Amino acid sequence: MEFAPIGLYLIVSLILSLILVSVSFLFASSASYPEKLSAYECGFDPFDDARSRFDIRFYLVSILFIIFDLEVTFLFPWAVSLSKIGLFGFWSMIIFLLILTIGFIYEWKKGALDWE
Amino acid sequence: MFDQDFVAILPEIFLINASIILLMYGVFCRSRFIIRNIAWLGLLSIIVTLLLHVNNVCTTANLFYNNLILDNFTFYCKMFLLLSTASVILMCLDYFKQENVYAFESIILILFSTCSMLLMISAYDLITMYLAIELQSLCFYVIAASQRNSEFSTEAGLKYFLLGAFSSGILLFGCSLLYGFTGVTNYEELAKIMLSFSSSNTPGMLAVAILFIAVGFLFKITAVPFHMWAPDVYEGSPTYVTAFFSIAPKIAILANMLRIFVFSLYDPTWQQLFFFSSAASMIVGALAAMSQNKIKRLLAYSSIGHIGYICIGFCCGTLEGIASLLIALFIYICMTINVFAAILSLRKNTFKYIGDLGGLSRTNPVLAITLAITMFSYAGIPPLAGFCSKFYLFFAALGSGLGLLAFIGVVTSVISCFYYIRFVKIMYFDTAWILFEPMDREKSLILGITLLLILFFFLYPSPLFLITHQMALRLCF
Repeated sequence: MEFAPIGLYLIVSLILSLILVSVSFLFASSASYPEKLSAYECGFDPFDDARSRFDIRFYLVSILFIIFDLEVTFLFPWAVSLSKIGLFGFWSMIIFLLILTIGFIYEWKKGALDWE
Repeated sequence: MFDQDFVAILPEIFLINASIILLMYGVFCRSRFIIRNIAWLGLLSIIVTLLLHVNNVCTTANLFYNNLILDNFTFYCKMFLLLSTASVILMCLDYFKQENVYAFESIILILFSTCSMLLMISAYDLITMYLAIELQSLCFYVIAASQRNSEFSTEAGLKYFLLGAFSSGILLFGCSLLYGFTGVTNYEELAKIMLSFSSSNTPGMLAVAILFIAVGFLFKITAVPFHMWAPDVYEGSPTYVTAFFSIAPKIAILANMLRIFVFSLYDPTWQQLFFFSSAASMIVGALAAMSQNKIKRLLAYSSIGHIGYICIGFCCGTLEGIASLLIALFIYICMTINVFAAILSLRKNTFKYIGDLGGLSRTNPVLAITLAITMFSYAGIPPLAGFCSKFYLFFAALGSGLGLLAFIGVVTSVISCFYYIRFVKIMYFDTAWILFEPMDREKSLILGITLLLILFFFLYPSPLFLITHQMALRLCF
């Protein structure tokens, strides 16, 4: 039941943001012409088309994020129940973290984290 | 808490630790040529794992709250799996040097997937089973696409990933249905629940769950209606990866299938399914392979056909059926190791087409006769091992009243002789004259050992019969 205020809050914020956007639409003057609609490239015309090679590092960072995000989801219940699961539970998680750390060291040495 | 259990899974623990240490070794030692070193060390760790496994004090146990099981069946399956992985690593040593493969991670991934297959063989719970299958598949997706500069390899990796993920999804849906309708995931509990239904009144939804699980597994072993990915993946992946794909996972997945279908879900529902799939696999394997000119594609279809023969053992559902299935599996693995060792040693630029074998009987007569014998064995010519395996399968099929399946088996086996013997014809009567580089010592050892096994199996087959009978007994009771 405690999710109801959050849902209400979501709806209210949606409405509020819609109002803010639509007010500027209502009162601002919007005359558009081709010069104004052209892409901004520091005052010059675009030199070539917008197709450019995508850097693999963005993928690497996002994959790393997914992996360590999952790690955190495993850590939450462990952290909450640490008083009940005793040393065995503690060491189980340490082993899990160790395996993840090995993966992290692998990435580090492979240079997946270098941003040069 | 699990003191005894950790002793019992010592081989797995060792293998995981060894692969992690090798990973760190490979990444810290920044040499490009580390891969051969890592491959030898990986081979060593597989052998140590095998020794640990064979000398394990704990041979019969249920571990970790019934999540894993150790018994005679898992003992021999694991032993065989480790041996075949060791032979695959041995046969790809030369490949790395000649093809300039520098990614040492592929060896690490082979080790990790071996570990997951060890766990898969001894899985005793739907969750353990699924997790082990996924760990294995994830490693496989990566090594299938490991050759980044080859479009075929990338395509193979992508196809394998998509279809593998799809089949895993089907399998998982079957597992969740099974859990939803029974409330248990453990194999033993499932077996108890299935026992309470007589053969005719299995609830419909349970049959659907079994159907989904069977489809997921048939995808994984490339049985026919679900075989589409196999030829492309086998052809596109690097050859040593193809060898690994067609050897190791078959043991693990069939072991797991036997455990779940024969032990837990013993039910006539899946028998019809396997009957159809087995007949279709044999027919497709025999007919589709005829028009293939590329060697790896042909071997993919041949392995589909052999899976069809192996599935005959499933359909029987008798002790003899399961024992003959295991015999056929072991012999198939033996022959496949031999063929892939031969193919990996036939290297001159790219060996892709069967026609390139021409004149091998004069350039390398010993290899030609080895390959010829293995092909005859694949085709089922007496008195080679392949004949014995097929003979016992058909014998078991006839014994349990599956005359139609035995008939289809015999006919397709005759048809498939055509393309197996075509190899021999090309090697002995054609003249293409490509000179291949001489093979290294490791591959020749593997070739020699497996050839001896294939040739002289019929002289002393009783150990394998005893072992498989013991395994089948353990599974059924």
